[in-house]
Amino acid sequence: MTETLGKTDTLVREIAGTTHAPPPPTRRRRRAVAEEPGKPWMIHVPLVLYLLFTLIPFYWMLVFAVRPAGSTQLVPWPISFEHFDTVWNDIGFGVFFYNSVVMGLGVLVFVTVLSVMGGYALARFKFRGQRVFLLAMLCSQFIPGAMMLIPLFVIFKGLGLLNSITGLVIAEVAFQLPLSLILMAGFIRNISVELEEAAMVDGCSRLRAFFAVVLPQLKPALVAVGSFAFIGAWNNFLFALMFATRQDKFTLPVGLSYTLGEFNTDFGALAAGGVVAAVPVVLVFAVVQRFLVQGLSAGAVKG
Amino acid sequence: MRKLLVAVAAAALALSACSSGGGAGSDGNVTITFWDNNGGPAREPIYKELISRFEAANPTIKVEYVGIPSASVQQKYDTAIAGGETPDVGGVTTSYLAHLVGQEALAPLDDRINGGPLKDKLLPSLVETVRQTAPDGKLYLVPSSANMDIIWYRTDWFQAAGIEPPKTWDEFVTAAEKLTDTAANKYGYTIRGGAGSVFQLITEAYSYSGVDNFFKDGRSTLGDEANAELVDKVAKLYKKATPEADVNNSFTQMIAQFTGGSVAMMHHNLGSYSDVTKALGDKVAAIPLPVGPGGKRTVVPNPTDGFAVFNNSEKQDAAWKFAEFLTSVESNSYWNEKVGQIPANTDVRSAEWIDKAAHVKMALGVLEDPATVLVPAPVYLPQYSSITKTDSEPQYQKVLLGELSAQQFLDDMAEKLTEAQKEWEDRK
Repeated sequence: MTETLGKTDTLVREIAGTTHAPPPPTRRRRRAVAEEPGKPWMIHVPLVLYLLFTLIPFYWMLVFAVRPAGSTQLVPWPISFEHFDTVWNDIGFGVFFYNSVVMGLGVLVFVTVLSVMGGYALARFKFRGQRVFLLAMLCSQFIPGAMMLIPLFVIFKGLGLLNSITGLVIAEVAFQLPLSLILMAGFIRNISVELEEAAMVDGCSRLRAFFAVVLPQLKPALVAVGSFAFIGAWNNFLFALMFATRQDKFTLPVGLSYTLGEFNTDFGALAAGGVVAAVPVVLVFAVVQRFLVQGLSAGAVKG
Repeated sequence: MRKLLVAVAAAALALSACSSGGGAGSDGNVTITFWDNNGGPAREPIYKELISRFEAANPTIKVEYVGIPSASVQQKYDTAIAGGETPDVGGVTTSYLAHLVGQEALAPLDDRINGGPLKDKLLPSLVETVRQTAPDGKLYLVPSSANMDIIWYRTDWFQAAGIEPPKTWDEFVTAAEKLTDTAANKYGYTIRGGAGSVFQLITEAYSYSGVDNFFKDGRSTLGDEANAELVDKVAKLYKKATPEADVNNSFTQMIAQFTGGSVAMMHHNLGSYSDVTKALGDKVAAIPLPVGPGGKRTVVPNPTDGFAVFNNSEKQDAAWKFAEFLTSVESNSYWNEKVGQIPANTDVRSAEWIDKAAHVKMALGVLEDPATVLVPAPVYLPQYSSITKTDSEPQYQKVLLGELSAQQFLDDMAEKLTEAQKEWEDRK
C-alpha cells in the first residue's frame, strides 16, 4: 500500500512540475526537454482541442438554459432566466438544492473525521486481524449499491430513517468510508513516525502529537478525501431516489430525472437544472485543485 | 405520578390501536399517499388541480402527491414493495402490472368498480387489456387512459399529390412511393429502425395479417406468413421511399425528420401529438394503422394507464375513493384533454373537446368499434422486453439491410416468445 502510494506521489509531483529531486535524465527525457521550446504548438494545439471537447457540452447546456423556449440561437441574446425561474420555483430545485447541500456537507464531515480516525489506527497500530479488516474494506467496494438497496431500505424503515436527510447521509457515509479510510491510512503512513515520536519525547500526549504534528501535514489528504466525499454525495442518485418518498426530500439528481417525462421533456428546464447542479461541483474543484497539487508536493517534501 | 404514567400509556395504546386499525386519526381525517408514475413538471400541475378538487369534495381526506421520475418507477415500486412502504394509491401501467401482481402488491378492484358509479362506464377494450395482463384475469387497476399506434401524415402533401390517405397497406406502400422525391430530399415514409423499432413493427404486422391472437395452442403466431409479408413490404420501402439514416432511427430522430418537413408519413402514437402539431400546425393529421388484404382491423394495444390500490395500505377505502374520483367523468375528461390521450370513461365521449381533437376522436372510434379485434402483446412475460428489444432490434436492422429474410427474423423471435410463454404457463 505504502509503495503504491509512494509511486503515485512521485507521479503527482511530476505532473505538477514541482519535482524537487528529479530522476537522472534518461536519453528520451533529454530529447523531450530539448524539443519543448521549439514547438509549443505541439502542446497547445492538443490541449486546446481537448479543452473544446470538454467545454462544448457545458456550453450547450448553458445555451439551452439561458435562451427562451423555442429559440435556436447558437449565441443566446438577450439572455433569459425563465428556465431558472421554472426549475427553482415551480419544480422545486430550491428545496432540492438545500437538501443536496445539507447531505453533501454531512457526508463530507463524517467521512473526513471517521477516515482520519480509522486511517490513523490502521497506519500506526498493529492489531489482530488488521489484514483481514483491510481486505474486507476492499471487498466491500465490489458490492454495487443497487444490491444493498432493499436490505438498507428495510433497515432504514425500521429505524424511521426513510424520508430523512440523516438516512441518506448514513447510507452514503457507509459506502464511501472504506475507500476513504484506505486512502487516508496511506497518507498517514507517509508521514514519518519520527516527528510524532519527537513530539512525544518533548512531552506531548499521543493525541496532542497527532493534532500538532500529523494533522497539519494531512491537509492535502483532508482536501482530497473531503472533496470527493462531497461530490460523491452530490451525485448520488439511487439512494436519494429510493429512500425519499416525499418530494420535499428529493435531492438534485432526482430532481433532474424528474424533469424528464415519458412523452415530453422541457429541455430548457432540464438544462437550467443541470447548470444548478453543476455549478457547486465546478466551484469546489476550482477552489480545491490548487490545494490538491500544492499540498501534495509540500507534504511530500517534509516526509 | 404513577397514575399519570398509566393514563398516558393507556392513551398511547388506544391511539396506536386506533390508527393501525381504522387508518383514520381520532378526528376521522386520513392522509393518503399518491404516486404519479410519470411525474414531472408537465403532469404535476394537472394532478395538483384534481387533488384540490378532490379534497374540496372530501374534506376528511388529504392526498399527498409524490411524482416519481418515469424512468425509475418500476424500480421504485419494487423497492417499496420489498420494504413494505408502498403508497396507498399509485399510477400503474399494464407494462409492469403483471410484475406487481406477481408480488401480491395490488388489491383487486372488480367488486369496487362494479359496486360504484364506474360500473359499465369504462371502455371495454381497455378493461379487457387490463384483465388479460394479470395472470388471474382480475382487474388490478382501473384504466384511466390509453394510447394508440397511429400514422401521422402531411395533409398538404397528400392534397398536392391528389391522393387520399391510405386505408390498406397496399395503398400505403403506393402512397409512400408516390410522395417520395429523393432529389428534393422528400420521402414518403420514415422507418423506425433503431431503439423501440420492433414493438412498432409487431403492431404493423398484426394490423396487416389480421391474426387475432398472439398465441395459438401455446405457440407464438408472430412467424405467420402474412406477418412476414408485411415486414418484407416495409423493408422494401427502406431507402426507396425512406431516408437512408432510418436504420438507426429512434423515436427522437424519427420525430425530428417528420417535424423537420422531409417525410410524409410516420408511424408513432398519440403521445407525439404536441410535438407534431407544434411544428406542423394543421398540416398534420392522423389515421389508424392500415388494414391488410383481409380487411379485418386488428390492434395491438399500447400499455394502458390507470390507478391501482395497494394491498399494504391501511386506508384502502380512501385510496379507492381517490382512484374512483380520478376516473370519474369530469376528472377523466380534464386529464385526457390536457395530455391528449384516449379517455377510459365512456361518458367523456360526449365532451366538447373530443370533437376538436380529431386524433383522439379517430383513435376512440377504432377502440369503440365492435369489429376491432385486440391482440394484446404478452408484456407480462418477464423476457418480453429483452426478446423484442435486445435480441431482435439488431436483427431487424439486418432485415432492412437485406442481410436476413423477414420470415427468418420473425421465426426466431416467435421461437423465443413461445419458449417464454411455456415457462410462464408452467409457473402459473
